[in-house]
Amino acid sequence: MAVEKFSYDNKIVKYFALATAAWGLVGFTVGLLIATQMILPQMNLGQYLSFGRLRPLHTNAVIFAFVGNGIFMGVYHSLQRLCKARMWSDKLSWFHFWGWQAIIVCAAISLPAGFTTSKEYAELEWPIDILITIVWVAFAVNMFGTIIKRRVRHMYVAIWFYIATVVTVAVLHLVNSVEIPVSLMKSYPVYAGVQDALVQWWYGHNAVAFFLTTPYLGLMYYYLPKAANRPIFSYRLSIVHFWSLIFIYIWAGPHHLLFTSLPDWAQSLGMVFSLMLIAPSWGGMLNGLLTLRGAWDKVRQDPVLKFMVVAITAYGMATFEGPMLSIKSVNALSHYTDWTIAHVHVGALGWNGFLTFGILYWLVPRLWNTSLHSVKMANYHFWIGFLGILFYTIPLYWAGIAQGLMWKQFDPVAGTLAYGNFLETVTKIIPMYAMRAVGGTFFIVGAGMMAWNLFKTMRAGTFVANEDAEAPALIRNAGSGKPGSDPYKHQWLERSPIIFIILTTIAILIGGLVELVPMYLVRTNVPTIPAVKPYTPLELEGRDLYIREGCSNCHSQMIRPFRSEVERYGDYSKAGEYVYDRPFLWGSKRTGPELWRVGTRLPQEKWHYLHMENPLSTSPGSIMPPYPWLLRQDLKTGDIRKKLEVMQKLGVPYTNEEIANADAILKAQADEIVAKLHEAGVPEADPDKEIIALIAYLLRIGTDIKK
Amino acid sequence: MTIISSTQSSELGHDHADPACFHCGEPCRDLVESDGKAFCCMGCQSVYHLLNQNQLGKYYSLDAAPGARPGESGRRDRFAYLDDPAVQEQVLDFHDGTHAIVTFRIPTMHCVACIWLLENLYKLEPAVSRSQVNFPRKELLIHFDESMMSLRQLVGFLSGIGYEPKLSLESLEKSRAVHPNRSLYIKLGVAGFCFANIMLLSFPGYFGLTHAQNPGFMRAFTWLSVALSLPVLFYGANDYLAAAIVAVRRRVVTIDLPIAIGIVALYAHSLFEILSESGAGYLDSFTGLIFFLLLGRIFQQKTYDALSFDRDYTSYFPVNVMRMSADGSEQSIPLNRLEVGDRMVVRHHELVPADAVLESEAAEIDYSFVTGESDPALRTAGDLVYAGGRHLGEAGTYRTVNPVSRSHLTQLWNNPIFEKAESRDLASLTNRMSKKFTIVVIATATVATTWWLRTDPAMALRVFASVLIIACPCALALAAPFTLGTAMRLFERRRCFVKNAAVVEALARVDTIVFDKTGTLTADKHAQVEWHGELTDADRGMVKALTRHSTHPLSVRLTDTLGALPAPRATTFNELPGLGLEATVDGHRLRVGSAAWTEAPDDALSPHPTVHVAIDGLWRGCAVLRAALRPGLPELVGQLKQKSRLCLLSGDTDRQATELRDLFGEDVEFRFQQSPQDKLAFVRQLQDEGRRVLMIGDGLNDAGALRQSDVGIAVSDDLSAFSPACDAILAGDQLPMLTRILAFSSTAMRIIVASFVISFLYNVIGIGVAVQGLLEPWIAAVLMPISSITVVSFTVLATRMLGHRHGFVVLKS
Amino acid sequence: MTVVFVLLGASLLLAGAFLIAFIWAVKSGQFEDTYTPSIRLLIEDDDNSQDQVSGKQ
Repeated sequence: MAVEKFSYDNKIVKYFALATAAWGLVGFTVGLLIATQMILPQMNLGQYLSFGRLRPLHTNAVIFAFVGNGIFMGVYHSLQRLCKARMWSDKLSWFHFWGWQAIIVCAAISLPAGFTTSKEYAELEWPIDILITIVWVAFAVNMFGTIIKRRVRHMYVAIWFYIATVVTVAVLHLVNSVEIPVSLMKSYPVYAGVQDALVQWWYGHNAVAFFLTTPYLGLMYYYLPKAANRPIFSYRLSIVHFWSLIFIYIWAGPHHLLFTSLPDWAQSLGMVFSLMLIAPSWGGMLNGLLTLRGAWDKVRQDPVLKFMVVAITAYGMATFEGPMLSIKSVNALSHYTDWTIAHVHVGALGWNGFLTFGILYWLVPRLWNTSLHSVKMANYHFWIGFLGILFYTIPLYWAGIAQGLMWKQFDPVAGTLAYGNFLETVTKIIPMYAMRAVGGTFFIVGAGMMAWNLFKTMRAGTFVANEDAEAPALIRNAGSGKPGSDPYKHQWLERSPIIFIILTTIAILIGGLVELVPMYLVRTNVPTIPAVKPYTPLELEGRDLYIREGCSNCHSQMIRPFRSEVERYGDYSKAGEYVYDRPFLWGSKRTGPELWRVGTRLPQEKWHYLHMENPLSTSPGSIMPPYPWLLRQDLKTGDIRKKLEVMQKLGVPYTNEEIANADAILKAQADEIVAKLHEAGVPEADPDKEIIALIAYLLRIGTDIKK
Repeated sequence: MTIISSTQSSELGHDHADPACFHCGEPCRDLVESDGKAFCCMGCQSVYHLLNQNQLGKYYSLDAAPGARPGESGRRDRFAYLDDPAVQEQVLDFHDGTHAIVTFRIPTMHCVACIWLLENLYKLEPAVSRSQVNFPRKELLIHFDESMMSLRQLVGFLSGIGYEPKLSLESLEKSRAVHPNRSLYIKLGVAGFCFANIMLLSFPGYFGLTHAQNPGFMRAFTWLSVALSLPVLFYGANDYLAAAIVAVRRRVVTIDLPIAIGIVALYAHSLFEILSESGAGYLDSFTGLIFFLLLGRIFQQKTYDALSFDRDYTSYFPVNVMRMSADGSEQSIPLNRLEVGDRMVVRHHELVPADAVLESEAAEIDYSFVTGESDPALRTAGDLVYAGGRHLGEAGTYRTVNPVSRSHLTQLWNNPIFEKAESRDLASLTNRMSKKFTIVVIATATVATTWWLRTDPAMALRVFASVLIIACPCALALAAPFTLGTAMRLFERRRCFVKNAAVVEALARVDTIVFDKTGTLTADKHAQVEWHGELTDADRGMVKALTRHSTHPLSVRLTDTLGALPAPRATTFNELPGLGLEATVDGHRLRVGSAAWTEAPDDALSPHPTVHVAIDGLWRGCAVLRAALRPGLPELVGQLKQKSRLCLLSGDTDRQATELRDLFGEDVEFRFQQSPQDKLAFVRQLQDEGRRVLMIGDGLNDAGALRQSDVGIAVSDDLSAFSPACDAILAGDQLPMLTRILAFSSTAMRIIVASFVISFLYNVIGIGVAVQGLLEPWIAAVLMPISSITVVSFTVLATRMLGHRHGFVVLKS
Repeated sequence: MTVVFVLLGASLLLAGAFLIAFIWAVKSGQFEDTYTPSIRLLIEDDDNSQDQVSGKQ
């Protein structure tokens, strides 16, 4: 029963810290680039750096590279100390680190290259999905291993938040990424249309909840008391906070689909549960802020605390705004506008960004056994970063509300839309976009200062890779001290983290099995509409181009049942129209106009041809990127049969001869379109080019119901 | 419980002239210097060195002067009785010859540094493998190696570094209970989980997903709900169902009965609907109701880890006693082994554990503990000394004449009132109300049903169900817990700790208040001192030089009042029991103590405890110490007299009678020289007159009266110290709050009644509609949780609001 | 909308796992002491030993 000597693995923490800072800068910079693209379309530098492909790169870089590495940095540092134990396996630690960086690199290559599933925050294609799964499991094993061999009986509340993160994210990822490969970098999801949408946003929202929130709450509960050097305001509250959050978070997802063709009851469900979330979220925020009760003098001097205070406040604002945005009547205005973008950036820049900065400023000097190179510079970083957040969000709130109102506004006299041309509502808010870019620049400058400051700090200090520590061994159960009670008999309880892991893996497996259900129930899915037919081979190829170019980042395909939308875009969308949409392409933002039924609104092949070549030629003032390469590149039809087969397997009624003659059918339709283009006066149109397929798709979207 | 912040503990030093001890912060009465740091005694200094040698210097950086004086009056064999296997069995949580686990209560732990040091014991003592603190309970759990270190050595080691475990007779006789709330929390967790998921499954129904529209879904959802509801019914709600069954058996109506009926009706009806596919049932409201009820239950049982409300003499009496065997050798034995005729050795400041005859020639006995009499009495050989008296002066030998349990003081606990269990709950307002309520509801239900049976049998069942469901008095069940629970929390803000919610209810009905004088109205620490004769400050300085070396109660009080006076060094110090102190200061021969000791003139005698001073054989003057009344008493008495009848009891002589008369006025009944039994009897007599008595006392001598009274409040100046069995503990400086506490208790009851009215109206209307069959049962089911939430929020908000108005605000600690 | 069952299944299993974890935690006395851990966090052996720690409750 002697004292055990061991050492904390600081090296892994160091690497994750460096990765956090580095990827942070990358993610912010990409963000700035796409922000400028929205003011200056010419900033879309060729097909690999166009907005549609870079926007997912930005979100992935910030969420999974910056915040992700931030989480791992914090967990690997705090967990070892909370458990008074080294990480369970150094090998796994390093596998986790390099594996995760590999995933990020894959993303950085595949997304600009146009390989994407188009599902937000789950864009990466199936091989990378598998890699993610493996790396994540490695992390989970390593973490639970550490928890089991811990030398402290009590599991500090932060550990609970970490557990929730690891387990839940695993399940979410598995459920949402069930897809059938067509080729190495192309797959179709097993869910279609409305169902796909529901799964995607169940995932999407919980990704925010369990990747951007719970782990960071854990970090808050560890680093805030440390930095402020005073105990958390109420430890009891933190425990209540955790359990209440865990039991109601999971169902808020559908609030991303209000007024869509998702059944009403599912929408209302999402709304109600989102509203309930205010209570636990604010419990956590108050617990954080009240910890600093009577220490505000410290806050005034210490940049670390400054960052954390703003972060927690931002968390409070975002978690109040979120439920508000889930109220149908508010959502009717905010959805598809920049309001949502502003909302998420309060969370991303404020909560995640500033908390990460705070932790880095606290951690690096300690790991390098020195003091921060320049507190003054850190304070400047705080102020410029804070200014950046304001300059970023305020204009976007303005832009969002303004544009939302313009979309809905009718001319009282004529009874027609006041802004009949969608483009007007865009050009009006471009100044706001410009200001947002300025805000972003401030934020990056701040991050740059931090990088320099931390670099100098590291240079000045001496890093200890393995920090010696000692702690008495944890002997069986010491908890329920009943006189004469035999501690051995409680042993199984001590082991029950293992039980816990087993249970969760079972959960995950069953979850995975349940995945297969929809494949068989596919036909009984949604009220089917006889008029709705599967896409032709050419249209399917066009659809995949639409996905490749990331059109859904700016264009929605879901007409909500409002007079203003029906007036502008045509009859509102029905669930039955989407049964063959794999993946669904409803989108979540309308930087450009709604495209469902665009085929009935703009049935001219020529218009689309010219518009894609150079949007300004048809729509002066448009900020849409040009897509000249679609006119140059040949359409690759190699996989078309495979694609149809997969679709058939998933229940799309393609006949076998259709599949057999796919190429012929495709060719025929292409020629047909080219013929129309020729007589419309576009002699250079060539049936083998990608543009033809895209036009075919655009003209088809949402038109079946009219036939 | 508060962790003393560094600032506070350093202030501790300021009001004394002596420098504060670097280790314990106490003023250094006789200074020990080391590494340029001041220490008040060798003990503190040696602990400091011990910690430094073991690289535990951080201890002093975590908090200023965090230490506690290492165990005084420490004779090495003091803990010998811990070698007794029988004792070890009782003290140890677990042991197998090598690995042993023990949990100690350590009153001296008070700050961050304490936690840190106590959890790093293994660095000091290799035999200790790990140690874990539970600060709220001031408990230390230790794993150690029996083969390397005995329990006795461990305890010795701990007291050696100033953390002496509190080992009372109690710790041998009573067994530590596991946290009572555990199962309740699990129940709440299960109910919460099921509630949340069932809500999820039933919302679609409310949001327009109909059975016709999508039978598959509805069926799946409802059956999932049924599955989820089972644990709530059979696990979550079993307390209520069980209690109801008991009530039926006992032929009494408690609040549990109507609740149980409501629960069952609700559940049965839901199942019926689901089975008959006539609806989705109301399992969501059912689980929600249980969830709220459990929440109320937890809210109501606020526990104060550091305090205990049911202590008897066993927690005061030492756990062991030194028995002197025939050959004159002493051995330490557990107290409960002491037999009549045993000769025992009692040391300075130890309690005489059993009625015994003094054998040494003289000893002073401080009975303040038993009688409240504040100044020590001199006893000589052959005198009978009662159990509970504190032996002062050098060790004396006694011969036991009564076993511990039959002794003068302790037989108080043989009184039947200590046997009978609390019977308050049944009498409580909630239950009295629910009796009527239940009868009315059942009656209405049956009448309505029979009526419908004649007209429209199909409606009968629905009506019956609706009436029972809506009448389910969750509001009643929630109003009391949440109101009283909130009240308890408000009281806590003013350092008034109430045993349970029922006490608040009892407080509201008090009409007679009985005070114990000593310690309650008067407090030694407020002692005033009057000097007579011609003594210069220099002389008093010399007096202090003596008194500060003595632990005699009068010396200690005098030293405190002399506070800042510089004191020269005293040599050839000598203390004689019953007489006083003697020493040489600056070449003068000083005598401080009794009149006889200093040949005081007769005119200098006073009824109050007096310390006489003689310098070089000449009486020079005396200090008269009188226990002063607590501040704020006149106002308090004035206010209390308006509402209730007051009485005053006192264990000691009536010397302060006149002073108290002025305070209380003529109409208040006084009784002096009351034995513990007398006090008990007096309270009972009042109760026989039909009065509801609030007893306010402090000492063990009040224990009987405190227990007998309807509410017993123990006043305590040091909350971490033990207080006798009682219903509430009130911090001494908060005594003036008593009026408000009483007033607010009745306010709380009014709030409960108000919420009864609300839920009653709600029910009347509900039932009114239900009996006519107009009310769809699912609407009833939705209305029910709404009423619960209304009641809860109303009671909590109202109580907090009024509480704030009554001045129950957080105190700056 | 059969996919709802998928989500339902996954969510229930997840919540169930956490419920079990909760029960384990309560049974093994994890939440018995809701104060000391917050202090322990601040005094575990690391470099902030020079600072003065003092909390209130």
